[in-house]
Amino acid sequence: MVTVHFKLSSLGKIELPLKEKTTWEKLLEKCTDSHVVDTSGIIAVMDGKVLSTNDLVSDGDVINVFPAISGG
Amino acid sequence: MFSILRINTATGKTVKEEYDSQDYLLGGRTLTSRLVNNEVKADCDPFGKDNKLFFSNGVLAGTIVSSANRLSIGAKSPLTGGIKESNAGGIVGLRMAQQGLRCIALEDAPQPDAPWRIIVIGNEKVEFEDGEFLAGKGVYEKSDLLAEKFGVKAGCVTIGPTAEKLLLASGIACSDPHGVCSRYAGRGGLGAVMASKKVIALIILNDGEVKPSFVNEDDFKAGAKQIVKLLKDNPVSSKFTKYGTAAMVDICQAFKVLPTQNFRYGVLPGAEKINAQTMYDTIKERGGQGMTQHACMHPCAIQCSNVYPDEDGNLLCSPIEYETMALMGSNLCLENLDTIAVMNKIANDAGVDTLDVGAAIGVAMEAGLAEFGDDQAAINFMEEVRNITPLGRILASGCKVAAQVLGVCHAPHVLGQAIPAYEPRGTKGMAMTYLSSPMGADHTFGFTLRDEDDPTSKEGKVELSKRFQVLGSRMDGMGTCNFVRYSVRDDMSPLLDLIKARYGVEISEEDYDNTVKETLKIEHRFNTAAGISIKDHRFSSSFYLEAQGNTGTKMDITDEEVALAMEW
Repeated sequence: MVTVHFKLSSLGKIELPLKEKTTWEKLLEKCTDSHVVDTSGIIAVMDGKVLSTNDLVSDGDVINVFPAISGG
Repeated sequence: MFSILRINTATGKTVKEEYDSQDYLLGGRTLTSRLVNNEVKADCDPFGKDNKLFFSNGVLAGTIVSSANRLSIGAKSPLTGGIKESNAGGIVGLRMAQQGLRCIALEDAPQPDAPWRIIVIGNEKVEFEDGEFLAGKGVYEKSDLLAEKFGVKAGCVTIGPTAEKLLLASGIACSDPHGVCSRYAGRGGLGAVMASKKVIALIILNDGEVKPSFVNEDDFKAGAKQIVKLLKDNPVSSKFTKYGTAAMVDICQAFKVLPTQNFRYGVLPGAEKINAQTMYDTIKERGGQGMTQHACMHPCAIQCSNVYPDEDGNLLCSPIEYETMALMGSNLCLENLDTIAVMNKIANDAGVDTLDVGAAIGVAMEAGLAEFGDDQAAINFMEEVRNITPLGRILASGCKVAAQVLGVCHAPHVLGQAIPAYEPRGTKGMAMTYLSSPMGADHTFGFTLRDEDDPTSKEGKVELSKRFQVLGSRMDGMGTCNFVRYSVRDDMSPLLDLIKARYGVEISEEDYDNTVKETLKIEHRFNTAAGISIKDHRFSSSFYLEAQGNTGTKMDITDEEVALAMEW
């Protein structure tokens, strides 16, 4: 099971079974029911590092997704 | 032609000059930094007669373009000893435009024992009025008295009692659309510079009759609508509108760079108690005067500001921004939004920068003056500031001075200006930006965090910081809110097209970026002339020797790398 927390989003927390490694981009599509997500508008963070679309995600991973806001 | 109103604060003489250069066209930081560089002796006393204080609006001020009425304020900073531009929202930039002014310059300085004056700029004249009745009062009371005297729609600039005492972390408060002086150009001690000229308030009356003219009004209106559409279409903008900058609490927690316990750690265990969702829910639950969405200026399609209410729904503080939530919250291990709001309100009333004073309180807690996580002690520190007690004066002088006086080695600053809300050992991109900024540690100068694949590594961060130094300087270089960049992203053409439609001046994206780079070069040149060297562009040694508690990383950026990031 991989866990994706969409922070400050109606998507909320999503858990998906994951048999084999997949890219973050593909997992994101599954999470959003294949709706296109503007990846420039979000930041996905796993273990303190940014996930890029081609990064691989494994079973057991926990990913936090945030709106790509900056401080002012 | 663009007007600059020069006001001699010693003699009362005023002169209006007109220029048509691109610097005056663009306004904002482009103009203030050039004026400081050209007209202020770099080695002067920031509180002396040779320093000048410039207020400039931007190229699209006074029009229907969203978020374009930002006010840039520039001078030599008493906090950093170098050049400073600090900008604020509110209505002052708009009122200046309606008076036909691009810039106001406060020059010279009267004797220190001269009485306080209010400068009133109206349609027909500029007057000096007695300001003694404001002396010693908090900013909120000053704001009320000024609104009563000059009207809530007057553009009002004032300072707090800490500035009157020339304390180094004092800012300049500008009036918002409701006539409340709550929009701060907080950084760099510019409030104290204004006080050194014995000007306690600057009023731009709401009787200006200058309306914007256009070379091609239809194109301009279409372009202004396009900016709003781009903002609305951008998925980030809607989140900004709903949650404001407070959304950064969770992001920084995830990156392990949320300043905690005087920048010792990057994770606060109870951060969810002070995050954006909690703030949003609290404001909604309490209702009353609370607003999760609020515009600091008109027009603004983003409206990222807020009004935080107390338990009874009465206004407690507006706005509360992420930087304050971190420096007056997580960095002090405080997990109570009400405490942060009270501290923020006192800071606004005392007229101090919430970042520098928040960092100073962190230093005071590390020195053992109170325990981290003690809400009442934190509020008491702010009362010391408001009451200008000896300890309050130390705290209101910023974290560098506080650390020196209190004997704390781990002083979170660069060039004397407190580090903003991103722990630098956990984000080497932001660290590079802090270190290479001519303004002292400044997050808006080049916000890299979202684009760092590995934030704890310094690899590639010179180039990344430089890229964002240009991106970050594009907006304040023309007096536009930093968040308008969410509409245009990397493409400046919608904004440059507006300039063309208004003035008939064609500026290519490359030309504009060259202007931005030239501004950076000028700012560094001023600092060099002021005696600032690469050795001043360092963190306190503890950042290099001790690992951050959550990332386990130390600062490892060298002087040579910083020098590269400063090279334009």
